[in-house]
Amino acid sequence: MLEQKKGDNGEAIAKSMLKMAELKVPVIAIVIGEGSSGGALAISLGNKIFMLENAVYSILSPEGYASILWKDASKAKEAAEKMKITAKDLYDLKIIDKIIKEPEGDFDKLANNIKKEIINSIKELKKLSPKEIVEQRYNKYRQMGEYKKLDFKEKK
Amino acid sequence: MIVDKIKKRGPSPRKQVNNVDIQVGKWVSCTNCKEILYKEDLKNNSNICPNCGAYFRMHINRRIESIIDEGTYKRFNLNIDNINPLKLEDYPQKIDKLRQKTSLEEAVACGTGKIEGENVVICVMDSGFLMGSMGTVVGEKITYAVEKAIKLKYPLIIFTVSGGARMQEGIMSLMQMAKTTEAISRLNKAGLLYISVLTDPTYGGVTASFASLADIILAEPKAMIGFAGKRVIEQTIGESLPEGFQTAEFLLEHGFIDKIVERKELKHTLYKLIKLNK
Ligand SMILES: [Zn+2]
Repeated sequence: MLEQKKGDNGEAIAKSMLKMAELKVPVIAIVIGEGSSGGALAISLGNKIFMLENAVYSILSPEGYASILWKDASKAKEAAEKMKITAKDLYDLKIIDKIIKEPEGDFDKLANNIKKEIINSIKELKKLSPKEIVEQRYNKYRQMGEYKKLDFKEKK
Repeated sequence: MIVDKIKKRGPSPRKQVNNVDIQVGKWVSCTNCKEILYKEDLKNNSNICPNCGAYFRMHINRRIESIIDEGTYKRFNLNIDNINPLKLEDYPQKIDKLRQKTSLEEAVACGTGKIEGENVVICVMDSGFLMGSMGTVVGEKITYAVEKAIKLKYPLIIFTVSGGARMQEGIMSLMQMAKTTEAISRLNKAGLLYISVLTDPTYGGVTASFASLADIILAEPKAMIGFAGKRVIEQTIGESLPEGFQTAEFLLEHGFIDKIVERKELKHTLYKLIKLNK
């Protein structure tokens, strides 16, 4: 927090992401609870991104989102539904690679599920050279965003 | 990410003016000194109030005119639009209206041009387009421009002004921070020069990605630069923040930016830095 008093954490987030982008070893990020905003992103630039079945990952808390977009923090529930923050949403948006099942009330089983995915990913990513690992991560983020053709002429 | 916080900041004695570079009408009043100004005079004075010296925000086209040698700017023809990933009802219409009003495609324009004869790839953001927020299109355009710079082996110059990641495109906007950062990491590997010029205001996901990752970070005088708004931080940590917090001058003093450059000196400063790094 002291550092925030000088420059706040924007630079720290940017530098953390940059460092992760440069890593020549496999990075596996798993969202296990509530991931939100630049802080979560700063430590999750991965070759693989997983989410637990009931975890959420968002640009901002639904409260914050509702207050910015609709000037009304009490619309948080509506915001949460609109924002696409669930594991299924992020899987459909092709941001995460896999949803890890959370067997109800069975933490050992969950831990095992996570372990299995980590081991599988390492096995898969180990086949890549350091250069390929960096490239795979690049391509993963490179394709985030879907577009349609724009019909508009900029005036001078 | 703190678009509304910026809007709520309200009038203050600082010399940066929240006036958008409006296209219509012949007259505009300076929010700093209240003087009524003839727009043509303002335009001829680099969008600086001739009366009090306050900086007005700049339209992309005007910024390009002021930095790039006449007739050398060539925009990248990407022609892409977002697909409204969150399916918000009013978002596409909002964008359409903004396009008509600003005569811009999106909140950033990118292309190649020359600065006193030196080739560059240049990106310029515009606060008049949803507060310069970064959605999927801005992220793609910046990334494309970085890749072009690598291909052409040109220095990269980015002028930032932004409220942060674009809320209307949700998590897809957040991911553009990672995407642009990945691109910058490639640029670094290619050993090319990247200079960012932070203008008032630069916040949120733009500060927390490509804006802070330049080899040389310049800023216009009195520009407000940060991640979260000052008030939000104060509420979170329960302490008040020092005077001048998040001003370019404060950030220079603490080593977060390299130099503050007057608007009229920017072009020649960029030229000198490019020459020096050749
Ligand atoms: Zn004035």
